[in-house]
Amino acid sequence: MTASTITAPGRADHARDLGAAYARVAHAAARATRAQPAALAHTGIHYLIVAVAISSLWTRAASGHGGTIVGYRADALVWYLAATEVTAIAPPLRLIDRLGADVATGRFELELLRPAPAVWIRVAAELGTAMPRTAVCTALGAGLALGVGGAPASLAALALAGPALLFGVALTVVAQHLLAAASFWLRDSRASWFLYQKLQFTLGGLVLPLEVLPGGMGRVARFTPFAAMSYAPGRLASGHLEPGWLLAQIGWLAVLGLVTARVFAAGERHLGGGEP
Amino acid sequence: MRTQRRRRAIVAALRGLGAVWRTAWAEALANRRSFVVQMTVMMVNDLVWIFFWQVFFRRVGSVRGWTVDDMMVLYAILALAAGLVLGALANLRWLGPLVANGDLDSALALPVDPLGFLALRQVSPVNVGDLVFGIGLFLWLGHPTPARLALLAVATAASVAVLAGFLALLGSLAFLPGTAGAGELGLSAVIVFSSYPTDLFGGALRLALFAVVPAALVGSLPAELVQHPSPAGLAGLAGGAAAFAGAGWLSFRLGLRRYTSGAAWTAL
Repeated sequence: MTASTITAPGRADHARDLGAAYARVAHAAARATRAQPAALAHTGIHYLIVAVAISSLWTRAASGHGGTIVGYRADALVWYLAATEVTAIAPPLRLIDRLGADVATGRFELELLRPAPAVWIRVAAELGTAMPRTAVCTALGAGLALGVGGAPASLAALALAGPALLFGVALTVVAQHLLAAASFWLRDSRASWFLYQKLQFTLGGLVLPLEVLPGGMGRVARFTPFAAMSYAPGRLASGHLEPGWLLAQIGWLAVLGLVTARVFAAGERHLGGGEP
Repeated sequence: MRTQRRRRAIVAALRGLGAVWRTAWAEALANRRSFVVQMTVMMVNDLVWIFFWQVFFRRVGSVRGWTVDDMMVLYAILALAAGLVLGALANLRWLGPLVANGDLDSALALPVDPLGFLALRQVSPVNVGDLVFGIGLFLWLGHPTPARLALLAVATAASVAVLAGFLALLGSLAFLPGTAGAGELGLSAVIVFSSYPTDLFGGALRLALFAVVPAALVGSLPAELVQHPSPAGLAGLAGGAAAFAGAGWLSFRLGLRRYTSGAAWTAL
């Protein structure tokens, strides 16, 4: 039976099978990550180094300004940075580089032989890898924020920061796949990795709340997917009860997912010598 | 006679190391376009950090006595030191994996100092971008004068000695079992913490930034020497540089006694 002749119940079965396959891949990747406690500890220590350094800077800056800066109290800034840094450090590092190299060397083409879309298998695997890392970084971040910043300003907002972190990490993984797709045409995605990192750094509010950005830059940044990745969990963790950020994250996940699927489909056709 | 022979041996060894370094640069420059692209990538990366610091200090004025001018000097020195150590002496970063994998055989068979050979054997184009950026940043925002340029040279030399010594020390840990990963974490810690003024940190962490992970000696103290030169600052920095450079060299020499060959003749 060809794809065009699959009936509605058949399509539902197919989707269910694919979903189960992605879940199995993610689960296996998560198990593999958990089986390497030294590597997890490495990620956790790296996270702590970065989080301690950047939160020290902002808390000293806030205490020099009467305890508040750009509307954030010193303790809220620690919660903000503890959350934003999770979205940068928990996802597997240099994912764009690796995927780009696999496309350039032809390894990715072999994955096209599988009966499931190669890009989503990869996304599932990376998400599975990211989950234990996210758990470790989040636990350490919460410990740091409680120890240095104190109790969270709003428990309700903090509760929303949990799913926001997961959505943020998922957005990061999907966005990196999208940018890595450049290697279908350029055969070298290192510049994409670099571009992505800097966009997350500035427009994502990774090390500075968007309110600090000059002029209209901060306002524009709020409407980018980078703000949904990092600023959203940071904003919620710092005590701002703004559930709209979760909707923004889901929306961006849908948009980026759709665009990624389209771009990979075009890239795969390009690899096969067809259009475009 | 003996002194003359020793001098000749030293000159020959230096010539040998010079040839190794020239070869490393020639290899890095073989793909000129890639070299320039990678350098540019790092320079833009550094530029984003400068943007961050400018925005930050525009908002807060100063932090614990540190102004944007101080920060620009700190960043210039850090970029120069990182460019020289991670760019021009790139293998120092990979010393641990080389030791752990038993890949030192070819270096040990050469008539030059193995640590010197390993350090000079590879040039990393991406970090050479730091070097160029550091010079450009100081000339652009560091208020350069002949005296300040001289201070910058001294401060950078000390920062390079500390960073190189620390990396050699970390790499030498690989001679001991169960220390995998210490090198990358140590490098991450020293680079991250040296990017911030040491005055931000207090208590045991501050102490550790001088003695354990010498971030203060790589970033803050050299910057203070350029901004507020003093004999005490110079002496402290020189002492720290000598201590870490010596510790790095000595730990590698001692570690070599424990080295076990991987029985693989690799091209380093």
